[in-house]
Amino acid sequence: MAIFDVSGYKKYCELREQILPAGLTHLVDRTNHYNFGTKTQEFAVPPGVDPSGFLKSCNHDGGVCIEMNHGTTTLAFKFKHGVIVAVDSRASAGNYLASKDANKVIEINSYLLGTMSGSAADCQHWERLLAKECRLYRLRNNHRISVAAASKLLSNMMLGYRGMGLSMGSMICGWDKQGPGLYYVDDNGTRLSGRMFSTGCGNSYAYGVVDSGYREDMTVEEAYELGRRGITHATHRDAYSGGVVNMYHMREDGWIKVCKDDVSELIHRYRKGIASLISV
Amino acid sequence: MALQDICNFQSVFEDRLTTEYPAVPHGKKIPSNYVSGLPFSNNKSLFHFYIPVAEYLDESPIQFGQISTVQNCSAVSSEDPFLTSSSLPTCLPFASSQSVPLPFPMAHGTTTLAFMFQGGVMAAADTRSSCSGLVACPASQKILPIHSHLVGLTSGTSADCALWKRILARELRLYQLRHGRRLSTSGAAKLLSHMLHPFKGTELCVAATLCGWDGGEQKNFVDSTNAKVSLAKDERFSFSQQCSIRKKMNLSGPRLFYVCSDGTRLRGMLFSVGSGSPYAYSILDQGVHWGLTVDEAKSIAREAVYRATYRDAYSGNCVDMYHITSKGWTRRNREDLKEEYYREKERRKHEKTERRDVAFSD
Repeated sequence: MAIFDVSGYKKYCELREQILPAGLTHLVDRTNHYNFGTKTQEFAVPPGVDPSGFLKSCNHDGGVCIEMNHGTTTLAFKFKHGVIVAVDSRASAGNYLASKDANKVIEINSYLLGTMSGSAADCQHWERLLAKECRLYRLRNNHRISVAAASKLLSNMMLGYRGMGLSMGSMICGWDKQGPGLYYVDDNGTRLSGRMFSTGCGNSYAYGVVDSGYREDMTVEEAYELGRRGITHATHRDAYSGGVVNMYHMREDGWIKVCKDDVSELIHRYRKGIASLISV
Repeated sequence: MALQDICNFQSVFEDRLTTEYPAVPHGKKIPSNYVSGLPFSNNKSLFHFYIPVAEYLDESPIQFGQISTVQNCSAVSSEDPFLTSSSLPTCLPFASSQSVPLPFPMAHGTTTLAFMFQGGVMAAADTRSSCSGLVACPASQKILPIHSHLVGLTSGTSADCALWKRILARELRLYQLRHGRRLSTSGAAKLLSHMLHPFKGTELCVAATLCGWDGGEQKNFVDSTNAKVSLAKDERFSFSQQCSIRKKMNLSGPRLFYVCSDGTRLRGMLFSVGSGSPYAYSILDQGVHWGLTVDEAKSIAREAVYRATYRDAYSGNCVDMYHITSKGWTRRNREDLKEEYYREKERRKHEKTERRDVAFSD
């Protein structure tokens, strides 16, 4: 950090490295169980453990099949009046439904939202860490972090553990000085800015609906309806998505939670309604 | 089964076994009997596929890694030349044990869809044939008419689909000649499914959707000109009531079946097959219902294929549409979707400039 450079502060482990002779580097204090997460954003791993090597052996050729599926549907799109974020609420563990009411949107602060898909534990941990970093940034620099910077922080965290088995597909949505912002961040370290994203195994169904109905100049109500429809039709066809639609609207003055509608009621309404619709 | 008797199912296999495997004591490769090796040279050779036997493959400079277990199989079969058809599966692997491993991986990518509505069956498909990363043919035909009132959509390996469609067409024509009436769509689906069953577990990949109209010309069922009149009548009933009504008059009308080479045979109102199918499904779920007019059905089918080609890399190029009614199938002109992409791009650009103008004027 800048202030460390200015004040000549050296990290404790650097000092120890200088004291001890070269051959005794194993005595240098590494991140361990007691101090991880406080000084550095590292996980303590016993020396000799190689997570990425282990994971490489656990693939189809080796006979083991660890499938990291993102069993969910989340979508977000930018339009004239901000960003709409819609997610389902089903948490599955293989074939078992762990929860029908999971919260897949993390409210980082009043103008930043993060969605979660993939491993629930990974998403929750890293996005809460991101929330901590965003707060620290605000306190140190006296202005809000931009959406691009927040997504970059998350992407760098993912890159630090690349190949070690993280599973996270997240969209960082917010409103900063450049206007509405939407970034997709992946466990591979992918970071993409875009106008519309959908993640999870139900994403293809949501893409069809939102691509078809999207217009830049939609009204707010139309955008809400489009988000709801995208998630509803995805939950209708995808086995790993379901529950309720949690929808947020990111506006210039912060986000609001729009609705929490049960998808089975929504799909019933849509199926019954299309017979009497003249044009969608 | 009656269907088997009609098509001489059993006798085909018995004949094949007796003629094709004369006792060969030594381990020489059996040269295939050239006369019977021609595909479908006589009516008994329904499954007499000409297998390009290993002679030239051995000498080929490109070693595809052919497996030469011919000797073992021939030894086994020579001891028991009169195998009954019940032990057929042990013989068919003979054919596939000489399979040539593919020199490059094949991927099955397409978008095909079909749905039933009051005006018949609407079928649509894209026209891209892909071979892993290569677009092998941008103008292939995935909707193959089988006869005047039956159309099949193909997904899977193009060669397998084309072949099996032709076999099915031949069998349906024979049935029609022998019995003086067309086989129902349900019967055609059953026939296809039974013909594909012996190949279960091999690399055959056929996922076909059969769309047809059973029965003669119906005056009760509407055609496009009377769409509006009966639409009002249909709308009085709810969706589930309509289903039960349709079940009562199930002797004739539109039919939709999905047949897959792993043995699935499903009847339904709406199917979409292929790598682009999730994108198409969400559009179809939004808009398809029994009371659609023909024009609405066409535009929904077209929009669904367009959205699938928009997002899926293995679908694209043009869209074909067929409409099956009591009078038979009609084909809409093939439409190139790149026009639609450009139109949509123009629209988005237009919206963006409008928005900018509004922002400036504020």
